[in-house]
Amino acid sequence: MAPEDNERGGDGSEPKILVFACNWCAYAGADLAGVSRLQMPSNCRVIRVMCSARVKPEFVITALSKGLDGVLILGCHPGDCHYSEGNYFTRRRGLFLRGLLEYLGIEPERFQVKWVSASEGAKFAEIVKEVTEKIKALSANRP
Amino acid sequence: MSNQSVLVIGGGIAGIQASIDLANMGFQVYLVERTPSIGGRMAQLDKTFPTNDCSMCILAPKMIECAGHEKVHLLTYSEVAEVRGEAGDFQVTVRRKPRYVDLDKCTGCGDCVEKCPRRVPSEFNLGLDRRKAIYLPFAQAVPRKVTIDAESCLYLVKGRCRVCEETCQAGAIDFEQQEELLELEVGAIVVATGFDPYDPASLTEYGYGEIENVITGLEYERLICASGPTEGHLQRPSDGKVPRVIAFIQCVGSRDVNYKPYCSSVCCMHATKEAILANEHYPDLKSFILYTDLRAVGKQFQEYIIRAREEYDVNYIRSRPGKITVDERSGNPVVWYDETVFSEAGDPVRRVTSMGVDLVVLCQALVPRGVHPEMEEKLGLELDECGFLAIPDQLVRPVDTTVAGIFACGFCQSPQDIPDSVVQASAAAARVAELLIFQE
Amino acid sequence: MRVPEVAEYARSLPNVVYVEDNLYACSEEGLSSIKEQIAKQHLNRVVVASCTPRTHEPLFKEACEEAGLNKYLFEFVNIREHCSWIHMHDSAGATEKAKELVRMGVAKACYLEPQEEFESEVFPAALVIGGGVAGMTAALSLAGQGIQVHLVEREKELGGLIRSVRTLFPAQQDTEDLLGPLVERVRSHPQITTYVGSEAETVDGFIGDFDVSIATDGQTKELKVGTVIVATGAQELKPIALYGYSRLPNVVTQLEFEEKFKEGADTPRNVVMINCVGARIPERTYCGRFCCTTAIKNAIWLKEQDPEASVHVLQRDVMAYGVDIEEFYRRAMELGVRFVRYDIENPPQIMGEERAEAVKVYHQLMGRQVVLPTDLVVLTTPLVSREDNERLSKMLKVPLGSEGFFLEAHLKLRPIEFATDGVYVCGSARYPSDIRESVSQAYAAAAKAAIPIRDGFVRAEAITAFCSERTCTACGNCVEVCPFGAIELQEGRFGETAHVNVAQCKGCGCCVAACPSGAMQQRGFDDRQLFGMISALAEEMTSGTGRQ
Repeated sequence: MAPEDNERGGDGSEPKILVFACNWCAYAGADLAGVSRLQMPSNCRVIRVMCSARVKPEFVITALSKGLDGVLILGCHPGDCHYSEGNYFTRRRGLFLRGLLEYLGIEPERFQVKWVSASEGAKFAEIVKEVTEKIKALSANRP
Repeated sequence: MSNQSVLVIGGGIAGIQASIDLANMGFQVYLVERTPSIGGRMAQLDKTFPTNDCSMCILAPKMIECAGHEKVHLLTYSEVAEVRGEAGDFQVTVRRKPRYVDLDKCTGCGDCVEKCPRRVPSEFNLGLDRRKAIYLPFAQAVPRKVTIDAESCLYLVKGRCRVCEETCQAGAIDFEQQEELLELEVGAIVVATGFDPYDPASLTEYGYGEIENVITGLEYERLICASGPTEGHLQRPSDGKVPRVIAFIQCVGSRDVNYKPYCSSVCCMHATKEAILANEHYPDLKSFILYTDLRAVGKQFQEYIIRAREEYDVNYIRSRPGKITVDERSGNPVVWYDETVFSEAGDPVRRVTSMGVDLVVLCQALVPRGVHPEMEEKLGLELDECGFLAIPDQLVRPVDTTVAGIFACGFCQSPQDIPDSVVQASAAAARVAELLIFQE
Repeated sequence: MRVPEVAEYARSLPNVVYVEDNLYACSEEGLSSIKEQIAKQHLNRVVVASCTPRTHEPLFKEACEEAGLNKYLFEFVNIREHCSWIHMHDSAGATEKAKELVRMGVAKACYLEPQEEFESEVFPAALVIGGGVAGMTAALSLAGQGIQVHLVEREKELGGLIRSVRTLFPAQQDTEDLLGPLVERVRSHPQITTYVGSEAETVDGFIGDFDVSIATDGQTKELKVGTVIVATGAQELKPIALYGYSRLPNVVTQLEFEEKFKEGADTPRNVVMINCVGARIPERTYCGRFCCTTAIKNAIWLKEQDPEASVHVLQRDVMAYGVDIEEFYRRAMELGVRFVRYDIENPPQIMGEERAEAVKVYHQLMGRQVVLPTDLVVLTTPLVSREDNERLSKMLKVPLGSEGFFLEAHLKLRPIEFATDGVYVCGSARYPSDIRESVSQAYAAAAKAAIPIRDGFVRAEAITAFCSERTCTACGNCVEVCPFGAIELQEGRFGETAHVNVAQCKGCGCCVAACPSGAMQQRGFDDRQLFGMISALAEEMTSGTGRQ
């Protein structure tokens, strides 16, 4: 980690959270939250993918090792995947990553896999608030 | 070429599907929708049986695909005024009602809606909450453009306000806008006007309109929907409490020679779905469905009923209730129905019994939305005795009406659910293609 | 959110040569401006930061194409729904976030590459497997649209299931009145080639380009088609061992009943029909949909032949849905047909040793057992899937559902399509459907099957996967995880490697994440682009102060 991190060091700093959202459900749910003007903390940054299954474990590990404070993968509810099975792979990868991150000594709150459908704007907002709160309570992601 | 154009009347899921198929086939499609947005009844549903898919989630991409298709010309907030001609060569007059909003300029940002001071009951939410005089019918409306309702707008009625005009940064408000008559030449017409819920107030024994906690299936749908007036919290009308016991009454107005003799086909599944959703939201909630025949005839429907019984505390009672009264103090409706009980000796005794519940949902008959009376007279477009568009040769041409070149799909021609409507919509597209293919 | 500040920030990013702050980018004006600047500034990437890509991305992409810039060199950044609208009271936070989102978008754009949408030609012919009412209707509709059709029917005659039906609901018309003309139209249509007594043996390929071989007349015929419709129907369940069927001579199914009395034999005095035989039971949970209709139809017929006849229908819910069937049901009751409800826990019992003499049933309303003397017992059974559905499903690479019928792409909105493009299904092959429903589905399948043929080609959005052969180790993970069966291992320049069929690839990216060597990538969402976005985000903020 770079030394100039002192700028953001210490507890109470604003965490930066990366969110992968699938095009068909989660991204649309986030759009709905926006259209409904549901307010939430501004710590999340969304990257759109077509399916949550596109997210390689390396993305999560790289993000966390570069100092991002959390990674969230959002996909369709199991059974509703636009590509039928993608989110099952995501679910399995999620479990694997949790184990790995734990082994690496990274707090489990920093990585989550959650399901948001296109009509769940409110759920998206809830998740953002909840995850931001939890990660804020942790110290900044430094070695 | 005018005969390579098609008119689709009705922007619900059937109209949308027909439009997409026709546009993909290469036809120019004029989709006329009476309300400000396409989407129809499916937009008002929370979930759809038997998959319990979120209705809007599967509808919205279709709405966007339809509206975005280069060959589809959306004419929302419009009506068909007149139709002349014959198959291959119809002349249609479409009345575009004034929205007082310039569609080219409006970005759907919604700032005007926030500032508008006038509230009226929301049609989309069946009067359960209010909308503004300038409004978007629902969050995912397509096109995403506001509409000013001339009957409630303070400026148009009383000459004051104009706050929306001040607020709009795009300068999209246009109080000078007039009704426009559009003349179209099309080769074929597809009618997809859908249905309306039958008002159960005429069945006075059920107390709809008198007893607060007696609501209709569609009203329930809006209450349980996350994007509805109560954000998905099932708050009963009288006191906002969450019910612990719900009774669903089937065949309200259906299968009844005094009202509608036919079976509306979807209500048994609809009630089951609503009971499942209630229990999903509130695990302690118990439902009773009072039915006559449990018509679950589609794919995965019986399995849905089994799940409802086994996992969601849904109880089926075979009986048609005689009346509903109310316990004045608690506001709890009481459902009176008859049942057979057995004496010690094993003799059956038929008796009237009652069940006090917290909420009653009437699964009302669904009535086809008619077409313009002119089409019926001038062109000979016939309806059957129940008001459905008559299909003379059901077994060979199930989407052909009594007029050549006019096809009908979805509920306007027979009671059916979403998959059947979507199938008929595509079937209508095929029939149009057969008709117009060699007309050059 | 302070848009001018975000615009200013964008100017400072590497590779950004032009920034415009426009209130309505998606308006005519905004789009013209984009086209103008592409030309003026010789831009080779465009990033628009505004609303959600899910609505207007195609619009902007087209604008780029019109200006001569490949539309896949365009990136959309959502700073409205995902930023300004959800952080309305946090201007500082929203502005910082918007800057970072733009930075991420620019980083991705730097790695975007021009793409050509894959176009594959569609062979202008269709294959219809199954020559029953559904298959014939689909064939006629396609032919009516000017499309060449190959119709394959396994039996020696066209007509399918309804050949065994005597009269048709609702008009009680003779089946031959419907079937005769239909078969004649099929046989005489110049665009339809009919193969009876034949079977489709193999169907290889993909939408637009299916290679079909048909076993016909002792030989094998090879064909090419663009689309395929499955209309193989279903068969009536023969309820062996239920209610004495196959043991007692006067216990028959509804179809056997119709067959028996086709020639106008004397109708029996006492008939008891039992509905839901082999349906809506734990072993077979589904409802046969139109078997109640059949029972009602035959019950009415019996009463019309002999008004004195005693006809009982033992049922567990009368599925007389809709307008006509409900009316029919009412008419049956008016004619004196007695509908007796029984419970699955107390099924009726057949009494008699050599023949069925009576049926004993627990009459729910009366609360006791009743004994109904009978001359004939008719069992109403559902349609069940054909035995060769398994073979067909493998041949066409389409799935079967739990009941054994073909499983469509989506139960609600895509009931006659499959997840595999170019193959469609209609009629009872999908689920028991009466004639009107099967015919509607057949027209619908014809519409779907016609579209690619009318277009002449299929085009896939260029977000498909591709495999870098040099790096591929042929581990086969991708082949396994692809939900669409679009990947195959093939011999190439570097030995056996994975090959993605772009016509079938849907751009989900499952294979990319499953690839251990990184050989598999997704156009528009490849690793460099996504890692680039992650790095861009994690970069230290060079403008503003860090937030505390």
